[in-house]
Amino acid sequence: MTDEHPVDALRAYALGSLEAAARANVETHVAACAACAAQLRAYEGVVAALPLGLAPVPPPSEAWETIRASARETRAGGRKAQAKPRLAGWLRVTRWPAVAAGLAALLIWNVSLERELSRRAPGPAPGPEVEALSRRPGRIVILAGTGKPEASARLFVAVDGGGHLAVSGLAPLPRERTYQLWFVQTGSSAVNGATFRVDASGRAWVKVMVPASLDNVQAIAITEEPSPQNSAPTGKHLLDALPWK
Amino acid sequence: MRSGWPAGARLEGPADHDLLRRMQLGEESALETLYARYGGLVFTLALRIVGDPELAREVLQDTFLRSWDGRETYDPSRGRVPWWLMGIARNRAIDVLRSRPHRARLREQERPPSGTPGAEPADPGAADAVALRRAVAQALAGLSDTQREAIELAYYQGLTQAEIAGHLGQPLGTIKSRTRDAMERLRTLLEPLIETGGSESRRD
Repeated sequence: MTDEHPVDALRAYALGSLEAAARANVETHVAACAACAAQLRAYEGVVAALPLGLAPVPPPSEAWETIRASARETRAGGRKAQAKPRLAGWLRVTRWPAVAAGLAALLIWNVSLERELSRRAPGPAPGPEVEALSRRPGRIVILAGTGKPEASARLFVAVDGGGHLAVSGLAPLPRERTYQLWFVQTGSSAVNGATFRVDASGRAWVKVMVPASLDNVQAIAITEEPSPQNSAPTGKHLLDALPWK
Repeated sequence: MRSGWPAGARLEGPADHDLLRRMQLGEESALETLYARYGGLVFTLALRIVGDPELAREVLQDTFLRSWDGRETYDPSRGRVPWWLMGIARNRAIDVLRSRPHRARLREQERPPSGTPGAEPADPGAADAVALRRAVAQALAGLSDTQREAIELAYYQGLTQAEIAGHLGQPLGTIKSRTRDAMERLRTLLEPLIETGGSESRRD
């Protein structure tokens, strides 16, 4: 190996301990260097084996039943979505076709994330979270102000879960009111993805709990609700997700 | 156990990549087999990271649902099935750790250290898998404390190298050096036991 090959970075990449920019450099190099790609696979194999060194803990006995039930819902939801597509582009996000493999998409994602953050997020961006998010392939979903035309938002969702929301143009609320982000699912109640307030400039940057399965998500919306937070949306939709294009 | 880890393991049951193919056809039983094979390890990893059984269960469930949702995108040329699963689980657990650090920290002191092999799982799989488990534990135990610390802060805490340096009050170069030495030692000891090259279908 010569200095042209980023061996130290390959090790750190496999461990998930590189900053976003360095991670992108590794991905660019590996895409064109078979030797380093093989090195990286070797390190990734070693890293993936690390949990084998832990004392095994059996999972809760009921966990599988929950997974199976959700998988069945997903399959049923997927068929419904095929029959009557809504937010078709957004639903395709869960299939991650070329996204997981596409370096170009990853770079675009990183650039978009930084640009949107600089426009919408209040104050300095929360570094570790943003770095963690931008390291992984993902997509951006646009929310437009339907009930609040001057507002807009971007939902950043990583391929393997985890999301962040950058909002601008919402009015600051009194203490007894709050904003909530909802994932509206087929045949069931909405799931609360985040509860947040905005700063004096009407902006917010919040962590989002994205539902494990998005196949049956029919809509994504932000509403104003009483505080403490509601378990179901009661206010009118201020922002709604646009179909992904 | 016909997993993607032990080289030369005695093969029992369908290969991992066959399970993924069947999952892509919508076969729930393939997901169940995958869960039986790796559910315990995913839960163990999640518990190590988040430190709370309820949060670890969330990660476990999320991981297998995401493997179900993302089954069409698994690319065998980019790594083996367990690597893919562990990657999903690790990233999800780090997200949970960052979003709910207080709850996760409540159980932190109960965590057993890496390299301390505990009781074997109820269904440990083939002898080769058990041997690999022991080899990993021994390899980790063979690292110096500072090397193991660098590896654990990166993998189980999700810290970047710069963050590790800041956390420990050490120069960045020192952390890089510890990581390099630890990774090379682990690779030397474990690579012969792990199938890291070629495609998954090689084992057909």
